[in-house]
Amino acid sequence: MLLDINSYIGHWPFKQLKYNTCASRLETMNRFGVDLSVVSNLNGIFYKNTQSANVELYNELKSDIQFSSRFIPFAVINPIYAGWMDDLENCITKLGMKGVRVYPQYHDYSITDPGFIQLVKVCRDRGLPVTIDMRMVDSRQRSWMDIPVFDYNAPVKTDIIFREWNLQNIMPVIREVPDARFIIVNLANSIRLNIEDLALIRKADVVFDTSGRSLMGDDTLSELLKRFGSEKFAFGSHSPILDYLTGLLRIESMNGSEADDETKERLRSGNARRIIGI
Amino acid sequence: MSRKIDRRTFFERSAVSSAGLFLGGMVAGCSVKKSEGISDYDVMAEVMRYRKIDAHEHVDLYSGGPEVQIDFADRLGIERLVVSKPVTTQTGTPDEFREANDHILKAMKLYPDRIMGQVTLNPQYLKESMEEIKRCVDQGMVGIKVYYQVKINDPLFYPIIEKSIDLKMLILMHANCQLGMAGYRMKYDTHLNPNTSLPEDFVEAAKRYPEAMLQYAHTGGGGDWEYACKSFRDYPNIYVDTSGSNNEGNMIDFALEYLGEDRLFFGTDTSYYQGVGDVLASELNEVQRKKIFFENYNAVLRKGGRDVA
Repeated sequence: MLLDINSYIGHWPFKQLKYNTCASRLETMNRFGVDLSVVSNLNGIFYKNTQSANVELYNELKSDIQFSSRFIPFAVINPIYAGWMDDLENCITKLGMKGVRVYPQYHDYSITDPGFIQLVKVCRDRGLPVTIDMRMVDSRQRSWMDIPVFDYNAPVKTDIIFREWNLQNIMPVIREVPDARFIIVNLANSIRLNIEDLALIRKADVVFDTSGRSLMGDDTLSELLKRFGSEKFAFGSHSPILDYLTGLLRIESMNGSEADDETKERLRSGNARRIIGI
Repeated sequence: MSRKIDRRTFFERSAVSSAGLFLGGMVAGCSVKKSEGISDYDVMAEVMRYRKIDAHEHVDLYSGGPEVQIDFADRLGIERLVVSKPVTTQTGTPDEFREANDHILKAMKLYPDRIMGQVTLNPQYLKESMEEIKRCVDQGMVGIKVYYQVKINDPLFYPIIEKSIDLKMLILMHANCQLGMAGYRMKYDTHLNPNTSLPEDFVEAAKRYPEAMLQYAHTGGGGDWEYACKSFRDYPNIYVDTSGSNNEGNMIDFALEYLGEDRLFFGTDTSYYQGVGDVLASELNEVQRKKIFFENYNAVLRKGGRDVA
């Protein structure tokens, strides 16, 4: 069984996406043998009121009976926007959402913002995983309208101050709520940690997806399975922003000495099912 | 790819312990067709179905010696790797590029049936660059790889391009296209080398030398591939390779739309999974896949009598 833990519908405002509806995503899943996909609505990154995006996703999923058995919806929640707790409750109890996605960089709050910490604690108490992207798109090809890369306060707006996140940027929230469930996706930058944080990650209920470019060089997936543990990774595509197969290739191209059948099965779906709770 | 839990078993077991689960019980009570329409796609079988030439590869640059490249190539069914070791300093002295080329010659000797070398040089040192082309071509190198010491449309480059035309060799040029590095929004300072070749520079060189073969590096290297592909539409002697770490969805299909099926090369630039995954996940038909993975680059090699049998 194959479960994609990281996919989207909706729009990226600066570039046209293909396969960004439930119907077209389902076609792609069928083409590539994917049974289930976690899906959230990209529009929730850009709407100030993210609940509109969650309702959009719900309505789209409701429009075809096939969708309900193939998609696992995650809600986009902004914990510094009015009414987020009501939104979360509605998403869980009425819209069938099985997890939460947060975008601190786009929604403009820090990783230790009290509202965010509160959200993570609520999710912990409700048994919901919280998904954090290391990055959404490669900043080298970013639009001038994307989150800023220059210092707004500088007299001449030319100096790049923005840096994409790495795993260390995400660690503070895991330190704050170590007993919550976290899904960290698109590992596009450094995943090196100090000994204390590595021990914390190994102990925590954290799953990384396989879509990010950092799973290469000295950090191939087979090496990371040794470093973090084989229960820490799950297939994720980050599509339609990224292509659908690269994250799967990282799993399937491992030989038997790097990952046996049991380990690969955990990567294909077992670890994802565990952290989502299905 | 064996799966211990097949779909039938999974859905019988869980149906989905989840089902009512999705959409807050929206589907509870409904008969959900679980496995209908899902293919038994075997990604590794697909990977191995295609012969491949990696049109943009390095050794001893950022991920170890040639044995590392060969290991990835074996996993992903890459038959030949076109490798270089560009000098990434601004100086790019003759001693530096000779040493870099010696690395490639050594790798070619270690894996003569797998590694095809490209000579690197610096047009600021024309005499030494010309000598280096001769030295390396005489030892079997098949192309030229250049970095950002000089833009590809700089007059310093003219003799190098003319030599490549004589040798019927392709020039692979490092390139970039992002805010502050293309013909728009130059007010941004990306702290990249200002001599990096931009799409506009390729176009100017291609117009001046229509018989030259120029390869725009790594459309998946983080740059704005839409901008690059649109820039090159009307210049049939500009090829692009699809390498790079940023394996965006739709990049291959977009490139096909603007450049056609004969000007795209499969490449990795050491991002092996992305290079293969992006092409496999695209909408290319069978003929186009074969062209991009192998035949297009081999056709270029054939012009100089250097093709793979």
